[in-house]
Amino acid sequence: MRIAARAAACASAGAVIALATAAGAGEVRVRLFQFSPAAVEVPAGARVVWTNDDDIRHTVTAGVPERRDGGFDLALEGRGATGAVEFLRPGVYPYFCERHGHMRGEVRVK
Amino acid sequence: MNGTVVKLIGAAGLVATVAAGCSQSMADPKAAGGAVATAPASAGTKAAWLRASLNTMLQEHVYLAAAATNAALNGREAEFKAAASALDDNGVGIAKAIGSVYGADAEKAFLPLWRRHIGFAVDYTVGVATGDRGKQDRAVNDLVGYSQDFGAFLSSANPNLPKSVVADLVKHHVVTLKDVIDAQASKDQARAYAALRAAAGHMRMIADPLADAIVKQFPEKFRG
Repeated sequence: MRIAARAAACASAGAVIALATAAGAGEVRVRLFQFSPAAVEVPAGARVVWTNDDDIRHTVTAGVPERRDGGFDLALEGRGATGAVEFLRPGVYPYFCERHGHMRGEVRVK
Repeated sequence: MNGTVVKLIGAAGLVATVAAGCSQSMADPKAAGGAVATAPASAGTKAAWLRASLNTMLQEHVYLAAAATNAALNGREAEFKAAASALDDNGVGIAKAIGSVYGADAEKAFLPLWRRHIGFAVDYTVGVATGDRGKQDRAVNDLVGYSQDFGAFLSSANPNLPKSVVADLVKHHVVTLKDVIDAQASKDQARAYAALRAAAGHMRMIADPLADAIVKQFPEKFRG
């Protein structure tokens, strides 16, 4: 299932994009090789922003390691790097880190 | 011998062996390691206990890894399975130690990361056994890459542990263990055991600063 999503990645170390204060924005921190929270729920049309707190490259890749769905693929190059995806349609969107396959998360869009 | 080694420690086989060991060991007291049963009551010895426990567990890791690779290289299937299972119990114990300081989420994140480097060591052993230089080189590259991951993990957990310092120590661990595997494969027993002593002795270079950094991070837990 293809989703309509716009992804923006900011790979500058130390740069943090301030979260939109509009209702519906979700935030996920990537720390100690985990996505926290592991599952985030947002309304359709909302953005989810990932911020890397680890000093290592992680990715936010749609799908599961055994089957990527090509929906989004963010590279968070190190500590402070952020990336965002806008989720337009309701559904459940699993994702993982391509470099560390045990790192899994989920976006639930209402 | 080459075919036996590949059969013993093909990736799927090792995963099954490790997983079978893991499902029992999570609830098994021996998962914590024989020398790490309980902390002393006296606050004054808590820091020393932490340092001793980490040294014990990390040295145990080296000895069990060497036992597993030696058994695999020589086609001793039952011994390999037992050593691999014990090696995973040791890994579970180390993860629990991490979790006891940094919480259950940290423990949950640490264990798959730890197991990953064991997988790379398996790949290297298979490469040595089969004379596959490409596989050996890829495994070494994976292990060097892993050293950065491990450094990043501990650096995130504890600001007193710079990523580059930890990564360099882990890289040295990789080199010393590689020496053990190479010596085992060449059947030079004197060299193998000398390399094993060096590899085990090196773990102090990781355990001591890790213990010190934890004590520095949580002085209230180790006051005395």
